[in-house]
Amino acid sequence: MSAETDQDLIRSARFRQEREADWRRLETLVQAAESRGLQRMDFAESRDLASLYRQATTSLAIAREISLDKALLGYLEALTARAYLCVYAPQEGLGGLIQRFLTTGAPQAMRRSWLYILLGILCMGLGALTGYLLYFESPDWYYVFMPDALGGGRGPDSTTEDLRSVIYDADPQASGLGVFATYLFSHNTRIAIFVFGLGVFACAPAILLTYYNGLIMGAFFALHVERGLGLDLLGWLSIHGVTELSAICIACGGGLKLGAAVLFPGERSRVDALRLAGRDAVKLALVAAIMLFAAALLEGFGRQLVQDRTTRLAIGWGVGALWLAWFAFGGRRRQ
Amino acid sequence: MIFRRNKSGKPARPSPNELMPPEGVTLTLPVAGVGVRIAAQITDILLTGIAAGALLLLLSVTGLINPQSLFVIAILLFFLIRVPYYICAELAWNGQTLGKRIMKIKVVSHDGRSLSAHALVLRNLMKEAEVFLPGTLLLTLDAASPVSSLLSLGWVIICLAIPCFDRYRRRLGDMMAGTHVIHLPVPVLLADLASEPQRAGVNQSKFVFLSYQLDHYGAFELQTLEGLLRNESQRPQAGQDDRRDATIEVIVEKIRNKIGYADPVPTEDRLAFLRAFYNAQRKHLEQRQLFGDRRENKHYAENGEENS
Repeated sequence: MSAETDQDLIRSARFRQEREADWRRLETLVQAAESRGLQRMDFAESRDLASLYRQATTSLAIAREISLDKALLGYLEALTARAYLCVYAPQEGLGGLIQRFLTTGAPQAMRRSWLYILLGILCMGLGALTGYLLYFESPDWYYVFMPDALGGGRGPDSTTEDLRSVIYDADPQASGLGVFATYLFSHNTRIAIFVFGLGVFACAPAILLTYYNGLIMGAFFALHVERGLGLDLLGWLSIHGVTELSAICIACGGGLKLGAAVLFPGERSRVDALRLAGRDAVKLALVAAIMLFAAALLEGFGRQLVQDRTTRLAIGWGVGALWLAWFAFGGRRRQ
Repeated sequence: MIFRRNKSGKPARPSPNELMPPEGVTLTLPVAGVGVRIAAQITDILLTGIAAGALLLLLSVTGLINPQSLFVIAILLFFLIRVPYYICAELAWNGQTLGKRIMKIKVVSHDGRSLSAHALVLRNLMKEAEVFLPGTLLLTLDAASPVSSLLSLGWVIICLAIPCFDRYRRRLGDMMAGTHVIHLPVPVLLADLASEPQRAGVNQSKFVFLSYQLDHYGAFELQTLEGLLRNESQRPQAGQDDRRDATIEVIVEKIRNKIGYADPVPTEDRLAFLRAFYNAQRKHLEQRQLFGDRRENKHYAENGEENS
């Protein structure tokens, strides 16, 4: 177009004419970034993308003031939005993320929320104590607490020999993978998921569930103590239970943290408080998931292979000490 | 009076479709509705389900598992595939899973900053508690245990209701992670009507509008006329469709009456008249806007009095 007709154009049309080439270039760059990914673009392209995006936002701000061309406004809105999504894409790789979580993120989150985890342990401990004492008051309580499927037929009616044979059963029926899967989706994992997920509904369900889980355990333990099998059961439970029950307590701590944010948001709005609490709570949930996975491995393979009581105790509590060391010493800055 | 004062006293909340990037110019990104997100979710479930099914078939063909534990292993495989899938897909594709790509929706950070890996991990872990747990609960509902069935039903309803009542259609995981889901806008640049080359044989400059004639309309009417002219220019041949021509005639007469344009417009020049009027009107309105006189529509004069 010649210079003469340029002068005839109205102001907003001239504005568009001067910048249209840049917008077109930005459009092709955005398409390239979306299909190939920002990491694979060469230096000049990504530099142009960033600077053209900022020019386009300026153009959009000006166009909103001076132009009434609906087509232009719509195009610029969409173009800058697409470019914004490209420019502000997450830059972090997955590998670095996992490493950071394991070395610093998780232990620090555990230390920050020690109070909630302590509350979780307290819930379960009180539950266990109550269950234990109630059983000695009257063994009928056992039937009240214990779901049928969980006891595996074990109860006050079964003989001491039956109880002993379950504890030292050297004849696994199913193959390794099947057993592993069964244990992973066993009762305790479901409890852990519920406890965490329900915590957000004002804490109460998480506390009740953890307490109830403690009740079951207390009654179950009391049954074996009555028959003089207390230490044997401790070994049977310890090899995976130290890890698994700690995972439930940690999941409960995470749930309580979310619930506390909903109940007592303080100066913030509830959504903001929830978001802030979520940063640590999700780390607790991930830690609990890792521990449950390890517990399923121990339960699926370790318990069948190791039949000796002392070794079982040593493995169980040894692994527990390793977890504790991770939480206590991981991610501390060197002085 | 009391009502009006209350209404005006409330601070206007920004539209949910607006997002403020660090550059400080609001962007329009329409929030994706519950329906399209469920569609994307179902697509993803199908994809991960097929992957888990294929793997299960492979395992059972090679005889690694025995048939008794088939069901548990199927659940385990589905779980082990879907959890990393959502997180890795949204990290790699900038907030899009395959289902979201098909539905052309995307996760964005609520505060306009870049999506953090933490946010993506959090919102997808909460998906386990919000989508999959209620889903499995629904599948296992039975009449034998009414209390637990009612409880799980309540949970499902709460999880579904939260996004429906939120302005940004966020589910619980979105709120915790500080994200919401938007439709991807598609940039299409149409030609500028004002700078389009004039059609041969028609001289637009023979229509001259005076300043008072352009004071009748606002931006809304201008943009409606823009839409009409765009449709006209896309038609292959003018003058074929009788109803179309009748509409154009009515519009031309309406405009002539309103602005007091005395000269009659010959039939073949009607479109040229409209184009000339569009150019003049747009120039006039844009100029007024530069001087701070923003005219939304033809009622701008009444509104202006009310506000002052």
